[in-house]
Amino acid sequence: MKTRCTLIAYAIISVLGLMMLLSRENVYVVLALIIGFLLLGHRELWSLIRYRRLPIIDERVKDNLTSAMRLTGVFFFIASIVLILMMRFNVFKDTPTALIISGQLVIVGIVYVVGYHYYDRVRPNLGERATRWLKMCLITAGLSLSTIALAIVLHNLVSAWFGFEEAFFFILGLLVAPAVLAASLLGSLVIYIKGLGASFRGVEQV
Amino acid sequence: MKNRMKEYRARLGLTQEKLAEIVGVRRETIIYLEKGKYNPSLKLAYSIARALEAGIEDIFILDGD
Repeated sequence: MKTRCTLIAYAIISVLGLMMLLSRENVYVVLALIIGFLLLGHRELWSLIRYRRLPIIDERVKDNLTSAMRLTGVFFFIASIVLILMMRFNVFKDTPTALIISGQLVIVGIVYVVGYHYYDRVRPNLGERATRWLKMCLITAGLSLSTIALAIVLHNLVSAWFGFEEAFFFILGLLVAPAVLAASLLGSLVIYIKGLGASFRGVEQV
Repeated sequence: MKNRMKEYRARLGLTQEKLAEIVGVRRETIIYLEKGKYNPSLKLAYSIARALEAGIEDIFILDGD
């Protein structure tokens, strides 16, 4: 009952928000909100369509939801700081603010879904070694992403201060860090998909 | 923690879905419990034991016991 009320309240607020934003012609934010709603409520929507009822939220699901929400909150906080810093230093020169915020909302939604599935399905199927590798890959990805943002800011600062095109931060931010980011994301994805695949194979057994 | 849920469930002829319905959890939770990939709370362990007509200590066994 509590979940049903929450979902209805969330839907009403979303519709009102969408109407307000549409009236102000912020199409990107509206799109981001719709995608975010679909990402966050995909389990509930699927259950309503398929079984005509909301899914049971048992203690395991509650634990997973809490962990996924905590992860999303931390990500949202860090992403906001990085975005504010990048906007402060004019990294997104001609990009509309609404588009940047929409992108952030979509990515936060994706992080939530990926995080929930990690706690719900992937983690129970990963061994100790795979979990350690996944953690290492994710930390490396986070560090390289921060390095990209920091290198762009530092490149702009140093170039502006000394009046010449600085090379070190340019190469670090546009070549080295993106390559490390791509490699670590690929590694994480492979481990994640392996865990997810094992979960689907296991859940089918009755 | 190990458990003998599957054995007791089979003895009563219950499916995972039916047991999940009785104790008020998802079928996936029963699957993870039976595989030892999730440790239940005391409340859930008690509900499962009651549904399987056995004591908690008969169904859930601590490693090393």
